[in-house]
Amino acid sequence: MKQLLVFVLSLYTTLTWAVLEVTIIKQDENALPIVISDFSVVGDANQGKTIARVMRDNFNRSGEFSASSANYVINDKPNFDKWKTKKIEAIVLGKLEKISKKVFNVEIELLDVYSKKTLYKDKFAVHNSGIRRIAHYLSDQIYHALLGEKGSFDTRLAYITVTNKGKGEREYRLEISDSDAQNPQTILKSKEPILSPVWSPDQNKIAYVSFRNARSEVFIQYPFVRRKTQKLPYFDGIASSPSWHPNGKSLLLTLSKNGNKDIYSYQLASKKLIRLTTDVGIDTEASYSPKGDKIVFTSNRSGQVQVYIKNLKTSKINRATFKGRYNAKAVFSPDGKSLAMVHRVGKYYRIALLDITNKYLTIMTNNQLDESPFFSPNGGMIIFATHKGSSGVLSVVSILGRQTFELASKTGEVREPNWSHYLK
Amino acid sequence: MLKIISLTITIVLFSSCSSVDYLYKKVLPKPNVVTIEDRTENTQENVIEADQSSLQSQGFSISGVDTSSIVEPVVVADFRNTDVSFVLYFFYDGTEIYEDSTKQIIKHANFMRNNPALNLRLEGHADERGTREYNLALGENRALSVKEILGLYDLSSRVEVISFGEEKPILQHHDEDAWQKNRRVEFVYQ
Repeated sequence: MKQLLVFVLSLYTTLTWAVLEVTIIKQDENALPIVISDFSVVGDANQGKTIARVMRDNFNRSGEFSASSANYVINDKPNFDKWKTKKIEAIVLGKLEKISKKVFNVEIELLDVYSKKTLYKDKFAVHNSGIRRIAHYLSDQIYHALLGEKGSFDTRLAYITVTNKGKGEREYRLEISDSDAQNPQTILKSKEPILSPVWSPDQNKIAYVSFRNARSEVFIQYPFVRRKTQKLPYFDGIASSPSWHPNGKSLLLTLSKNGNKDIYSYQLASKKLIRLTTDVGIDTEASYSPKGDKIVFTSNRSGQVQVYIKNLKTSKINRATFKGRYNAKAVFSPDGKSLAMVHRVGKYYRIALLDITNKYLTIMTNNQLDESPFFSPNGGMIIFATHKGSSGVLSVVSILGRQTFELASKTGEVREPNWSHYLK
Repeated sequence: MLKIISLTITIVLFSSCSSVDYLYKKVLPKPNVVTIEDRTENTQENVIEADQSSLQSQGFSISGVDTSSIVEPVVVADFRNTDVSFVLYFFYDGTEIYEDSTKQIIKHANFMRNNPALNLRLEGHADERGTREYNLALGENRALSVKEILGLYDLSSRVEVISFGEEKPILQHHDEDAWQKNRRVEFVYQ
């Protein structure tokens, strides 16, 4: 009986730690066709299929590629002419060899079908617990070999899930997962709302807002250190909207001292507060430029909700958005050249991309209530929250607008995604 | 047309002033910035008289915080049974307090003066549209607008303001009906 109970409990755990379901909504017909063959295996190495499948899924989600398997394992030199007639541009093949109980040797090669040349080749040993991580790492390498820029695969997501528990009670969870939504882990559970999770630049900390004390306060959680949480000092009024400086040493916060909502920089070591805005209107949702020399924030100082950029060297504040009556929650792209933001079109709230230099605004989505945009670390994709039916899901759109995929939970709502930097 | 609407509001305010003359001068609402785009929303909205009975009958908690565990003082329960509203509603992206709401706030002010041991928490809320952090700020501004009026009665020190932004909606569906009910300030006595 006892054993049965344990079984039931553990089953419950796996159910509630549900992996988000990834669905590709729109695939680009111009995506580059490549083949990623199942790895050949030497000895007892079933993970050869897993590595290749994880990689194919990565490439298909990126929007840049259409990755298929070869239906058979390509061991050696592929028949280039045959793949050429199938319009395949590149082939990935690999080998996985078990060399001890827990260690594998991985070999990988990327071949260009037209030139028949090797574009990338590597060989190394890996612990068996790191097979998925290696698949993401190799995906980044191959993406780089083919496009000359990094992928965003060896990274993590953070997001909030909300489940209705009945009787008006809800359960909020702060979760983290790999970039492909696998390996989800709950790092915080609360009956009170949790919002605005942001990965620190070193990816060891997540700052977020919690209402656990019946008011909005900012906390820092160490997801890889059991039960380590740090609460920022008490500030009069609301404290919210945390965002890290690229050097990880300070946080931007919105504080409402005396009821006036302004942006402050909070120095974690010295505990000093530096006030960055003084307007009587609402100033909030601040985040740094990649170099840390500017901040972008939302303000209603003009009577409308618009996005502003403050140059921290000159202290000058310039309005960044002029199109539309509601622009908010902007974030800089990793190259610092554009902003992703929530943009209101008529009755609808959509994600838009603004070129900071030429002010050209592109609306990236066509839903009704999109929010919380955030760039993938290579800038190639924007993840955001939206509604599907009555439930909240995450959606990802490629910058070129060619591809979208969705991350949904079977048990409730998912919201407020944040994408980590590259893992070390 | 829009000017006429705000003018009407002003006239209504001044014409109905009696014992609360002095209040209106201080908290005279700024004309709502109404845009072409916003017009459809604002024509539907006007200030909605707080209607707790319908909310209660639908099984919703009156407060953003779970009130079931809080034993409400008898005086508050009695006060609740009068024609007073414990919830005030707002325009889209607005923090202005209009005449009906002001009347309700004055009832609360008098109640607080008669019950000096009670403190009040004003909980500001927003609808789900727009961004969460902006809505958190907006919710606080709504509660602060209410507090400002109570401040005219020297009650500021007994009033705490918090905001839940869009995190604690009363109605969870995604339409104008729900949004109207969710843009609110709730009165919670402690």
